[in-house]
Amino acid sequence: MPEAQSTDDLLRSTVLHTLADDTRTAALELRVGVLNAVVHLGGAAPSLDQWRLAESIVASVVGVRGVVNRIEAPGAPSPMRTINIPMGEKPRGER
Amino acid sequence: MTTTGASEAARVFSKLPALAGLDAATLEALARNAAPRHYTAGQVIYLEGEPATSLFLLESGWVKATRMSPDGREQALLFVKPMDIFGDIAVFAGTTYPGTVVALEEVKAWTIDSATVLDLVARYPQLALAVIRRLAQRVLYFISLVEDLSLRSVEARLASTLLKNAVAKEGKLFVPRREWTTFDEMATRLGTVRDVLSRALHTLEEEGLLRVERHEIVLLDAEGLAKRGNSK
Repeated sequence: MPEAQSTDDLLRSTVLHTLADDTRTAALELRVGVLNAVVHLGGAAPSLDQWRLAESIVASVVGVRGVVNRIEAPGAPSPMRTINIPMGEKPRGER
Repeated sequence: MTTTGASEAARVFSKLPALAGLDAATLEALARNAAPRHYTAGQVIYLEGEPATSLFLLESGWVKATRMSPDGREQALLFVKPMDIFGDIAVFAGTTYPGTVVALEEVKAWTIDSATVLDLVARYPQLALAVIRRLAQRVLYFISLVEDLSLRSVEARLASTLLKNAVAKEGKLFVPRREWTTFDEMATRLGTVRDVLSRALHTLEEEGLLRVERHEIVLLDAEGLAKRGNSK
């Protein structure tokens, strides 16, 4: 679906910029994937606080329906665990 | 890539069923462009919705591919065993990766850059045929997954999955449970949740079809399970 693809591309770019612009997450080497407005996070964070912070920063980006946090951090749950998430509203116009 | 690395890659690639029948020149071309990668258990290899930058050829260790459903539930797409390839669909479709892939145990893989893969496919017809064959197999696999998820009960899916993964040893038919084969993992694989899976296992156990043990699930009645697997 090219339209959804480009919407996701745009959202991915916004998320990457948001994480890079925030001084608390700028230095982290995070990976970001976006599909159907759900953001998937990977990479590593030095602490559980930053693990949570990255997730909450991303969750607040307009258009994000959900965040799947697979960032590695001390004390954080394993990235390979099964993850089920509450989903937000679909972006307007999407069926 | 060093000469030693390339020859090691060529040796591995020559054993991959997906690349069976390729001549030495094609295998060498692939091997020259491959880079080794190591992942620890639990490590993300790629994320759903990340740009598809590479094709992966799995030498050792198991990986799982999952995708988030529209209602926020994780669904297993496939479990990839050693000596198989993954990441191929997105590379050839020119999209982002359709699912997340994580290493379930220590993994050694070889990666080939997407642009290079496409270039090699254009130059080596045998490779193009191998790719078509592999993608066709994937289509058939996903057709059966859709059929399973939409038409069959959890008990039926469980019965047929157990039979597909069973091994016979010393007159016993069983499904070995790997370290990562937790109830959550099995539930994700069957497109359900842990409680429903537990009930399904209990039902089949009560019917005398299987016995759940700590390190394996013993299949007591293969014929009965096959019947269950074919039911709705």
